[in-house]
Amino acid sequence: MSAVLPRHRVNVLTGIKSARLVEDAAECANYIQKAKRPLLVIGPLLLQSQADGKLLLEYALDLAKAGGIPICATAQTRGKMVELGVQPDCVYDAVEIVNALKDPDWKGVRKEGNHDLVMFFGIRSDLGSQGLSTLKHFAPHLKTMTLCKHYFPHASYSLTNFKKDAKWQEFLESLIAELQKGG
Amino acid sequence: MAVAETKKLSKKLEELSKLIRAEIPWEPVGPTPMPDIPDIRSWDMRLLKTYQPFYAPFCDLCCLCTYGKCDLTAGKRGACGIDIATQQARVVLLACLMGCSAHAAHGAHILEHLIEKHGRDKKIDLGESITIEAPHIRTVLGLKPETLGDLQIALEYVFKEVGHLLDSCHTGQEGSALDYESKALHAGMLDHVGMEAGDIAQIVGFNYPTSVADTPLVDMGWGAIDKSKPTILVSGHNPATSTEVIDYLREHSLEDQVEIAGVCCTALETTRYSDRAKIVGPLSRQLFFLRAGIADVIMTDEQCIRTDTPQEASKVGAAVVACLDKAMYGLEDATDMEADEIVRRMVGNGEHFAILDSAKAAEVAVKVAMEIAPKRRKEWLAEEEAIELAKKCNDCAMCEQVCPNLCSIGAGITQLAKGEFEPLRVLFNECIGCGKCEEECPRHVPIFRLMQVAAGNETWKARAGRGPIMDTEIRTVGAPITLGTIPGVIAIVGCSNFPDVDDVADMVEEFAKRKYIVVLSGCSAMVAGMKKDADGKTVYEKYPPDFEGGGVVNVGSCVANSHITGAAIKIANIFAALPLRGNYEVMADYVLNRVGAVGVAWGAYSQKAASIATGCNRLGIPVVLGPHSAKYRRLYLSRKEEDDWQVMDARKKELVETGEPSPEHLAYVCETKEKAMPMIAKLCIRKNDTPQGRAIKLNHYISLYKKYMGGGLPEDLHLFVRRDADIPLVYKKEVRAHLQEIGWQPREPVGLPTYIGTYPSKVSIDAVIH
Repeated sequence: MSAVLPRHRVNVLTGIKSARLVEDAAECANYIQKAKRPLLVIGPLLLQSQADGKLLLEYALDLAKAGGIPICATAQTRGKMVELGVQPDCVYDAVEIVNALKDPDWKGVRKEGNHDLVMFFGIRSDLGSQGLSTLKHFAPHLKTMTLCKHYFPHASYSLTNFKKDAKWQEFLESLIAELQKGG
Repeated sequence: MAVAETKKLSKKLEELSKLIRAEIPWEPVGPTPMPDIPDIRSWDMRLLKTYQPFYAPFCDLCCLCTYGKCDLTAGKRGACGIDIATQQARVVLLACLMGCSAHAAHGAHILEHLIEKHGRDKKIDLGESITIEAPHIRTVLGLKPETLGDLQIALEYVFKEVGHLLDSCHTGQEGSALDYESKALHAGMLDHVGMEAGDIAQIVGFNYPTSVADTPLVDMGWGAIDKSKPTILVSGHNPATSTEVIDYLREHSLEDQVEIAGVCCTALETTRYSDRAKIVGPLSRQLFFLRAGIADVIMTDEQCIRTDTPQEASKVGAAVVACLDKAMYGLEDATDMEADEIVRRMVGNGEHFAILDSAKAAEVAVKVAMEIAPKRRKEWLAEEEAIELAKKCNDCAMCEQVCPNLCSIGAGITQLAKGEFEPLRVLFNECIGCGKCEEECPRHVPIFRLMQVAAGNETWKARAGRGPIMDTEIRTVGAPITLGTIPGVIAIVGCSNFPDVDDVADMVEEFAKRKYIVVLSGCSAMVAGMKKDADGKTVYEKYPPDFEGGGVVNVGSCVANSHITGAAIKIANIFAALPLRGNYEVMADYVLNRVGAVGVAWGAYSQKAASIATGCNRLGIPVVLGPHSAKYRRLYLSRKEEDDWQVMDARKKELVETGEPSPEHLAYVCETKEKAMPMIAKLCIRKNDTPQGRAIKLNHYISLYKKYMGGGLPEDLHLFVRRDADIPLVYKKEVRAHLQEIGWQPREPVGLPTYIGTYPSKVSIDAVIH
């Protein structure tokens, strides 16, 4: 998001260096594909079903598969993943993975070096927002992205506020298709 | 050292010795009696080396002085030179100081009130089963308090330190995040002193239960209140006035005619004084109850009271008496007015007043309640009316956008419009009771009243708070706790900002049935009783009230939290026979390395919760917080294998690289109850565990992991298995196979693990050997 800032910023700063709003799935896929070591961090909100009966988790797994992206499972999401036949690359809770990510020397989940793009998907918004703030301030070596249906200003890249779940699902499906094309 | 400086130091020591009566040799005075800010700093820095601060800023700015706002993003510093990490630590310190001050000032008020009643020389007697009456005051100050007057010494010390700490928050002072953290830990420690002084004063002055476990079961829930009677609601934390109301009712034989009910901690205090008082519920039920209009008179005292109580009361025709100077709401101060004149104006004109004389406030409250109750309508909404009102909702989702607990309220209301009550009942359990949804609703749907209808009038039982853990209990459980055969002490404490109110009862049930000791306080103590099993029993009716494996203990209100941490100190002092007087580091080191205690503040919202938790952390007790608590902006996290897990083996006087992250974190946020369950069990692991104790603890860790995390073995299990004997029998085969697969190697347990000797300290290593 861009805004014209007056010369004397001291009077107008709102306190948020806002995320870039990503409304186009191709643009979103481009950021992911450009990353050398992306990571997908998934949370327990993905255990909810959508109106069509599809688990949100299934979108995450499709996305990871399409982009060849390792998965970090937080809270109890690992159990359902295993049920669906996919082993996460690592299991941490939300604050633990954020704590590891802020160390530039961390080896990452595949021991290939810390990640340069971290996507968060399915973590409750208050905790997610705080974790993104941690990374914004203390992990300048990486970018963050959110795939949830709300706008997260502390991220580097965020989706918009989707009023209808169907539109959000449509976006996720397009994103997966874009990644598949790229792969 | 210059002569003048030596003299000054001696003078200070002389004054200190006089204050704590150092010449009375109940124990030798340790190295840090009445510590100043730097005195325990080395211990803090040792903790912070392993448990590094993790900051999650709310925003990018510092807005505290007129240089700003200052942008602190991307490594930029503020106009004063502060960076983002230090600014977060400063805000955390401010929060801890607010919390500490709230408890200590509550204590000071109560003490003043009770000294006026009983005199400074009123003896502290907590009954025959409690001889270590004040483990915090003894440890931190080096003072053995014998009278109410002695408690004032403790509080004066707290206030002095708070002044210095608050000073350090001024612009252009401290420039290190770690030093701010050390100061926050200092504030947390002081908080436990203040809480202890406050609760001892209350027990002594109000004759609360003490030296007893089996306190009465009291009625809870708004359905427990007979709304045909005049009803007085007491709200907050300070029982000075509610006890006066009960005295007034007793003296005038009105106990059967007037209902007295409490919300938040005053409810717990009041039921310690009279088991005929009722508990409405935790803080999250406050606004519901106000809007229900059942209370004829609302008496506010301090902390966690709605700041719009007079406005809310006026809406339903109730009367308000503000009883403490900390919250006077802009009301006329009627302290010096004749009681009958106040009653006349409250009844006739619907006015609210501040009355800072508790006896007068009590008299006025009872008289007003009795006069206005017959004229007021206290009807619940009928289900049919609720359905009709719900039809106004067009599910615009404005309510959801402002809900701090992220609830889908609109979905519940639209279901109600179709006659389905259950979705809204479920939401009621998640509701923190702030009222933001109703304020935001463009169609003015009375969401609270609808939710109340859905919730119904169910009643529950809560056990009245019992105060300190008895010395006799400590003697019994000291060995099994430190050896690990009682797998842990789980203290579920604090406020009601829960993701779901049922989580607390579920946690209590899970750990009590596994024979952990479960201790409760504050709003958590109430909600633990707000769930019934298939037989209609709450956890208070199912489990014994004793401080033993499988016991469920309610110590009391917020200030009674000091008894939980006090019990940890008592284990070191009574069971391990380590002197505590002015010996904070030794006590904290013992607790951190040998007492498997964990705090769980699942619904923490307040600054008091921040300071209580930070005080636990300095004492070596890890704390698990609910997901909202990321908003406290700071946690203390380790990085498992990558951190420093070196300890000294005090017997061999050798440094040992244990590689064992126990306890793994000091302040930790869990996203869900499911994650919290195994994490709580894991945080009970201590390096001191015997093989038998470790096997028991790992049994629970593995079993909870399997139950809540979807099967398999914990990813970090190998870090906690020292030898084959540590592996629980029931999982032997599976764990052995796993360990073999990952190339695990056995290691020797540490005989007497301690941090003393691993960092610069005045304490010698021999001080930890008992």
